[in-house]
Amino acid sequence: MLARMSDWSKVTRPIPVPNELSRPFWDAARQKVLALQRCQACKHFQHPPYATCVRCMGIDLKFEPVSGKGAIYAYTIMYHAGDKRFAAAIPYASIIVELDDAPGALLAGNLLEAPYTEAKVGRRVEVIFEPLNDDITLPQFRLARGA
Amino acid sequence: MWEHRCKVAVSGVGFSKVTRSAEIPLATHALEAVKGAVADSGLSISDIDGLATYPELPATGHAMVDGITIVSVNCMMAMLKLPNLAWHVQVETVNIGGAVQQAANALLAGVCKYAVVWRAMHNPKGTYQNLPGTHAAGATQFTAPYGFGGPGQGMAVAYTRWLERHNQSREKMATLAITQRRHTQMNPHAYFYGQPLTREDYLGSRMVAYPFCLYDCDIPVQGAVAIVLTTADRARDLKPRPAYIAGYGQRLAFEVAGRIGSLSSYMEGGRSSSSLTWERSGFSPKDVDVAQIYDGFSASVIYGLESYGFCKEGEALDFIQDGRMELDGELPLNTFGGSLGTGRIHGLWHIIEGALQASGRAGERQVKDVDVSFVGASAPIVQGTTFIFVREPY
Ligand SMILES: [Zn+2]
Repeated sequence: MLARMSDWSKVTRPIPVPNELSRPFWDAARQKVLALQRCQACKHFQHPPYATCVRCMGIDLKFEPVSGKGAIYAYTIMYHAGDKRFAAAIPYASIIVELDDAPGALLAGNLLEAPYTEAKVGRRVEVIFEPLNDDITLPQFRLARGA
Repeated sequence: MWEHRCKVAVSGVGFSKVTRSAEIPLATHALEAVKGAVADSGLSISDIDGLATYPELPATGHAMVDGITIVSVNCMMAMLKLPNLAWHVQVETVNIGGAVQQAANALLAGVCKYAVVWRAMHNPKGTYQNLPGTHAAGATQFTAPYGFGGPGQGMAVAYTRWLERHNQSREKMATLAITQRRHTQMNPHAYFYGQPLTREDYLGSRMVAYPFCLYDCDIPVQGAVAIVLTTADRARDLKPRPAYIAGYGQRLAFEVAGRIGSLSSYMEGGRSSSSLTWERSGFSPKDVDVAQIYDGFSASVIYGLESYGFCKEGEALDFIQDGRMELDGELPLNTFGGSLGTGRIHGLWHIIEGALQASGRAGERQVKDVDVSFVGASAPIVQGTTFIFVREPY
């Protein structure tokens, strides 16, 4: 299979709508910081954000920055334009990332700056940020550089 | 063991015609299936006094229009005008298997005598996933911006994890697809009846969401199936041989909405549902003579075989080789063709086949000497339920 980059230039991504639970996540992302919800009682990170800690039922939850380094937990390569908004990028890799700082908290993303064929389970990635507009910046991932 | 094992049975089963997309209102299909199940039992519509369904429309972005795109309990009540109706429910958490379990509970509680459960599935003309919006709210805010648009991708990501962690190859799944399609040729109600599939077809087919090719995905269809459940005592007086429910279970784990791709949570869902079923029935996987395992996407069968305990983790694609899933194999599997053969009707058809195999009514595709018939009615974590049907009460 010829390795090539997905063409994201013609894709208009749906823009996330922050809510009561997720607003701090998106506020941090706009500052190019990846911050996840953390239980102040048991120190468990969770994502997506939830009303309570799903490990200990704690209700004191705060967003704390994480390093943004992790590994691909799983991925798929999309060949079918089930979502017409993404037709121009096909084939593209949608990945699920498990962060070093937050085991068990799985983040979705795309593998950017690399051929989609580079997506493999366990491969090291790091967060980058893709601004969608003045309010919303999307955390994304690329293959990890350096250590 | 469960004190209520074998006290409720599936009696009649019914099918509508299955078409590629909506030609007639969905309620017409549901009515045809319900009438068929009632007639198969040798009952009259007026005997039915319990109704249960799970009406969800999986085609996202389309309006829920009762009678057209879904068939609710209210819709069925309006159509049937049941003079003796005594009980009904519409379930939410565990898909259609939950509706069957609730109907069994109502029969055990003595609040109805003959319950009908149906599943009607709509396939809109045009685009199945209608995702035209410029924004992503709620749980989709963390997934839709990355092109996660449908349930297939959620299953696909878990499948890549399974394949690469266990050093397996997706080509082995061809055996599942072609064996199920062969079983489909013995099921005249199925969408793909009359359309065989070869290994070459599977291996040469276009990729949809890697590792899923076209033949790993069930085809969206318009159609309905239905069953009549009653107490064991009443079932013995009816025309068909009963299929007794020896035990059931449901998924006890749930993920935070919007979290996708967690293979471990799929496995946890399947383990929790099947553990209840094994405990209640007193059986274990080695006692099972035939199994139906939900296959809306082929990989669901892997998670089912492993989490229910039929084989070890990482071994499911090897387990299904060498004729083991054929009608005369060690574990005949998805003997009606599965959703990959019938079209997307969710899990009620798996339950129907499990019951037909237990009562010896599966016709040309009947497995020999079935005493214990297992059903995993939905993918383990996506609203999973499990059942055991038996030929004789014990
Ligand atoms: Zn906690």
